[in-house]
Amino acid sequence: MISLSSYLLISFFLFLCGILVIIARKNIIAILLGIELLLNSAALNFVAYSRYTAQNLDGHIFALFIIVIAAAEAAVGLAIVIRFFQIKESIHIDDASQLQS
Amino acid sequence: MDYTVTSVAPIILLPFLAFVINSFIVKKFTKVAIVISCGAIFTSFLFALRIFKNFVFDVYSSGYHVHKVFNWFDLSYDKIPFKVDMGIYIDNMTAVMLLMVTGVATLIHIFSTFYMQHDARYGRFFVYMSLFTSAMLGLVLSDNLLSVFIFWELMGFCSYSLIGFYYEKEGAGNASLKAFMTTRVGDVFFLLGILALWSVVGSVRFVDIYSAIASGAFSNHFVLGIPLATFAAFCVFMGTIGKSAQFPLQVWLPDAMFGPTPCSALIHAATMVAAGVYLSLRMEPLMQLGNLKVFIAYVGAITAFGAATIALIQTDIKAVLAYSTISQLGYMVLGIGVDAYNASFMHLITHAVFKACLFLAAGSVIHSLHDHHTDSHVQEMPRMGGLRKKLPFTFIAMMFCTLAIAGIPFFSGFVSKDRILGEALIKAFHSKVYIIPMLLGFAAAFLTAFYMFRMMFLTFFGEPRDKDLHHHVHEEHISWNQNIPLLILSVFTLGVFYSGSLTGQGEVKIFSKRYEWFATLIEKPHLENFKDYERQPFGFSDQKSKKVFEQSIYDPTHGLEEEEAHHAHQTHVFGAILSIIIAFSGVGLAYLTYIAKKIDPRMWTSRFSNWNEALENKYYMDWFYIEVLIKKVLLPFNNLVSFFDMGIFDRYAVDGMEKVNKTLFTGAKWFDNLVIDTSMVDGTGASVKLMNVILRTIQSGKIQFYFIVIVLVLASYIWTLNIH
Repeated sequence: MISLSSYLLISFFLFLCGILVIIARKNIIAILLGIELLLNSAALNFVAYSRYTAQNLDGHIFALFIIVIAAAEAAVGLAIVIRFFQIKESIHIDDASQLQS
Repeated sequence: MDYTVTSVAPIILLPFLAFVINSFIVKKFTKVAIVISCGAIFTSFLFALRIFKNFVFDVYSSGYHVHKVFNWFDLSYDKIPFKVDMGIYIDNMTAVMLLMVTGVATLIHIFSTFYMQHDARYGRFFVYMSLFTSAMLGLVLSDNLLSVFIFWELMGFCSYSLIGFYYEKEGAGNASLKAFMTTRVGDVFFLLGILALWSVVGSVRFVDIYSAIASGAFSNHFVLGIPLATFAAFCVFMGTIGKSAQFPLQVWLPDAMFGPTPCSALIHAATMVAAGVYLSLRMEPLMQLGNLKVFIAYVGAITAFGAATIALIQTDIKAVLAYSTISQLGYMVLGIGVDAYNASFMHLITHAVFKACLFLAAGSVIHSLHDHHTDSHVQEMPRMGGLRKKLPFTFIAMMFCTLAIAGIPFFSGFVSKDRILGEALIKAFHSKVYIIPMLLGFAAAFLTAFYMFRMMFLTFFGEPRDKDLHHHVHEEHISWNQNIPLLILSVFTLGVFYSGSLTGQGEVKIFSKRYEWFATLIEKPHLENFKDYERQPFGFSDQKSKKVFEQSIYDPTHGLEEEEAHHAHQTHVFGAILSIIIAFSGVGLAYLTYIAKKIDPRMWTSRFSNWNEALENKYYMDWFYIEVLIKKVLLPFNNLVSFFDMGIFDRYAVDGMEKVNKTLFTGAKWFDNLVIDTSMVDGTGASVKLMNVILRTIQSGKIQFYFIVIVLVLASYIWTLNIH
């Protein structure tokens, strides 16, 4: 039987990958992918804990919510990216620096 | 008769209202304003007549008085009461004064419509007159010294503005200033006296002061070593000296003749100058208590005699009347000094009537004599003469008044002046101090008869000395506003109206019952009546009080023993005969000098040239005040003070202050620059700038940088959690 720590290890690995993608890549779409990874690692954590410790379906339901939110987030994020591209003709993250003013 | 607000207040308020209304409308509606003024004073006269009738014909009691108190203002706070009351006090004296003031004022108002009609400031004259009349009536009705003082000052102001009425005339401005400043000297003393009385009595009302005197509240009070009663009496009497033009403050009254003649009649002859005497009469018990009687008698006698001598050589018809006014006021004051209370007040009233008439008659003469060469009115008697036929009615009126003032029997002046002189004679028999005032009084009576008839003879008799002027005199016809007021006033110079008897001795009784109303009703305040009077501190009361005293009937023997009374009576008769002889000899001398030309007046002036010079310079009083008192005393004092101010105070105190300030300023500037500006103000800016540099670098706008920070912070947080 696969232990809880294995799941957590995979989840940690996914989370680390997501963070590294977000930090290292300059492409906004890649960053969005990184964010997907973060969310999925969190969802995996929920399911794992639900399976091994709580003995109920709370974690599973949370995972479903996370998937829905991730879908919504991806849709909104891609819309922003498209709009951004229309304005700046670029999807380079360093061009999105209007917050500094 | 009930004395409510509606029956008394209009006496003061109507003229005052006339003043207020006329102040606004006088320029556009001059005629209306004059009608309002005259109507107001006449209505006041009717109200006064009603009061007079009640007091003299209905009640007829010497102690009867009405005292109404009302709240002036109330400053009570919490439990500390502070209420200031004003009130009206009407006794027989007030009733007579009210009638006299309103009556004389009404006639003078009517005469003014004639005299002032061609004047450029016709209407303004009436505005001042209304204000003056209301102030005088207010003074007469006052029940306390404070409101007396208020009205007193108000009259002083009116006098000031009326003397300076012809301000384009040279000297009028100075004359009004002189009058104002001279009376101010007396007023300051008067105020001091009021305060002194307040300090002892705790009240300034007449009744309270009487009560305090009766209960001996003044004993053991001293000011600078002199009894407070004497001090207060002297101060109050100084007010009289200023207002009633007594020696040594009489210098303002002759100059006051710069004003229009009707105002001279009202203010500087009949009423305002009498207010001083009225005040002294009201305060007579205080003068008695302060042992000031001898002093008062001397002041009065010196004034009466000195002014009469100056009047001898005056050539201006108004100046003669001015000096005779001072002289007659001296008689009234002499009357107070010799305990002739009743006679003194009587002389006040009779003098008011005949002197008002004399001034109006002089005004009538002046108005008729118009010099076409200089386009001015003539006041100089050497240019008159022989006006008897041209101005018959003025002549009749003036003759009556001259007879009255000279003390010819059957006329009012004889009745009152004779009684003052009779009392002086009795006093002189009893104590030697009074001999000099008595002699001066009789001498002044002789001089009065002489100079008044000199004026009459020079004006109305003989040949006209200025033919051209005489030719242009307006023939006088009987007219309601020129002659009628004069004739009405001259009727009241007959003695019967005042004494009820022809000789003034109370022996020939014409009116059966109340034949001696004047002598019976006007009496000194009976102090014993006020002994149990509940004194109310001024400023702490609101009690309405009204007290009617028992009837007390005049006793001509002054409560003396029968023998003494007989002696007093004989003295009176002796005095009367003496004054008759003196009056007729004065008239005779004037006749010999100016009609029969048996005596040449120039002979007198050359023989007594030193005296003449002194008289022409008015005994050097003006010279003394201006050259000595003002230039030698006040001016050096002024210089000294200004030296102190400029040389010491300015140089050391003010400039020294400047130096201290400069040093302080330098220190403060250094502190400000270094500490406040550099380190605090600029320091704030610099620190903000520094923060700005730091924060700006963090705020890069790069999302990934933010993310790294978030991750690092989270990681460090978790790390710290693991440590514990």
